[in-house]
Amino acid sequence: MRVLAWRLVLLAAGLVAWELASDRLLPAFYISRPSAIAGRLVQAFASGAIVPHLATTLVEMVVGFSIGLPLGIAVGLLLGTFRFSARVFQPFIILLYSIPLLALAPLFILWFGVGWAPKIVLVAISVFFFVFFNTYVGARELDQDLVASLRVMGANWGEVFRKVTLPASVVWIFTGVKIAAPYALAGAVVGEMLVSRSGLGLLLMQATQMNDMAALYAVLLVIMVLGILASEAAERSERLVLRRQGRTAGG
Amino acid sequence: MAEPAIVLRDVTQVFPGRGAAREVIALEGVSLAVAAQEFVALVGPSGCGKSTVLNLVAGLWPPTRGEVRCTGRPVTGVNTRVGYMTQKDTLLPWRTTLANVGIALELKTRRATGWDRDRISRYIELVGLEGFEHHYPSQLSGGMRRRVALARTLIYEPETLLMDEPFGALDAQLKLVMQAELLRIWGETRNTVVFVTHDLGEAIALADRVVIFTGRPGQVKAVQPVDLPRPRDVFSIRFTPRYAELYEKLWGLLQTEVTKGESL
Repeated sequence: MRVLAWRLVLLAAGLVAWELASDRLLPAFYISRPSAIAGRLVQAFASGAIVPHLATTLVEMVVGFSIGLPLGIAVGLLLGTFRFSARVFQPFIILLYSIPLLALAPLFILWFGVGWAPKIVLVAISVFFFVFFNTYVGARELDQDLVASLRVMGANWGEVFRKVTLPASVVWIFTGVKIAAPYALAGAVVGEMLVSRSGLGLLLMQATQMNDMAALYAVLLVIMVLGILASEAAERSERLVLRRQGRTAGG
Repeated sequence: MAEPAIVLRDVTQVFPGRGAAREVIALEGVSLAVAAQEFVALVGPSGCGKSTVLNLVAGLWPPTRGEVRCTGRPVTGVNTRVGYMTQKDTLLPWRTTLANVGIALELKTRRATGWDRDRISRYIELVGLEGFEHHYPSQLSGGMRRRVALARTLIYEPETLLMDEPFGALDAQLKLVMQAELLRIWGETRNTVVFVTHDLGEAIALADRVVIFTGRPGQVKAVQPVDLPRPRDVFSIRFTPRYAELYEKLWGLLQTEVTKGESL
C-alpha cells in the first residue's frame, strides 16, 4: 500500500511539473501539456473518432498472433525435437534472426499492399520468431534425465513427446509470447506509420504532419496502454494455464 | 548355475572429445557381476564413472568395448527390465502424486485410462504417502518427492533397481530416514539393487557388497562383502564395531583415490 501511495504521489508530481513547465520552461509546441492531452483523449473516445483506428491495430495484433503463435510452436517443437534438422537449419535461423524485423516492413508493403495484410505479417513474424526460438531452445534442452527415466519405463519417442515435451513446452511458449508482445505491437504501429488507411500508427503520422502535439501524445498514451494490456494478457493466461497444470508460475 | 542378474564383462567407456573438450575415458576394463536379489553399492570419487555403469545397464547407450548383460540377456537398446531412480528430480511437475506414479503403468500398458488404482494406492502406501495422492510435486517436500520417485520406480515391479545417489540431495537426517525406508521396502520386494553413492557410510549400511572404484578412468579397485546381519537398523548400525572396522578398511582404499583426484 505504501509503495502504491508513493507511486501515485510521484506520478501526480510529474504531471503537475509537466503542466507548469509547459510554456514556462519549454514551449508547449514541443511538450504539449497534460490537461490538453487529457482533453484530446476524452474527445477522441467520446466522439468515437479513435475507435476504428484502435480496432484496426487490435485486429492486426490478434490476427497476427493467431498466425504466428501456432506456427512458432510447431516449428520450435519440430526443430527442438529432431536434433539433426536443427543443426541443418541453425545457420539459416541465425541469418534470418539477424535482420531487424521492422526493416522488412517496406518489403511486406510491396508484397501485400497498403491494407491490413503487411501489418499482420509483421506481427505474425515477430510472434513467430520469439515463440519459435524459445520453444526450440526449451525442447532442445529438455531434461535428459527425465527423458531417460521415462524411456526406461518403456516410453517410445512419441510418448516422450506427448507426455513430457508438450506439457513442458507451455513455459517456453509463454516466455516467447511475453517477449514478443512489445515487438508485435511495434510491428503493427510501424507498418501503419509507413503506409495505411487506418490504425494508431496512421494517427501518429497525421498528428505529426499537423504539428498537433496534444494528439500525438494522446495516441502514444493509447499505444502504451495497448502494450501494457498485451503483456498483462500474456502474463495472466500463462498463470491460468500453469495453474490448470497444477504448477505455480516459475515452478 | 543361474547367471548373475547383472554382468559387466571387461567394459570400457570412452566419451569422444567435442571441440575444446578432451576425450574422456570414463570406465576401463570394468568387470562386475551382481547376483539376483543382491544389494550392491558402487562407491568412488566424483567422475569415476559409477553413474556410467548404471546408464550402460539401463541401455541408454552401448559401451565402447565389452559386454553388458541383464537377467540373462545382453543389453541392446533401452533396458525396460530395470527401474532407474536418478539423483535429479524427474517427476513431472504437472502431474499429481497419483498420476506421477501412474505414468509407469500408463507406459507399460500403453493405455492412459488403464490405471490400476488399487495397485497405485498400494505403492503409495508402501512409500508412506497416503493422503498426498492429489498433491503436485511443488507441494511436496524433498523427501516426499523422493518417495514418489521410488514408488514410480517400484510400481512396475522391475527385477532390477538402479539407483544413482537417490538421497544425495537430502539433508543428513532425512537421508537416514529414507535409507531405513528403502531397506524396509527392499525387504518386501527383494529386487536386485545397484546403488551408486559417494557416501561410504550409506554404502556399508545398505549393501551386501561394496564395490570401490578408482578415480578416472574408473576401474574396480576392491570388492568388499558386508557381513552385517539383516534386518539392519541404519541408525544404530553405525555404532557397531564391525561397521567401524569395515568403514576404516574401505575408507583407507577410497581415500587414496579421492585425494589423487583432488591433487590434479
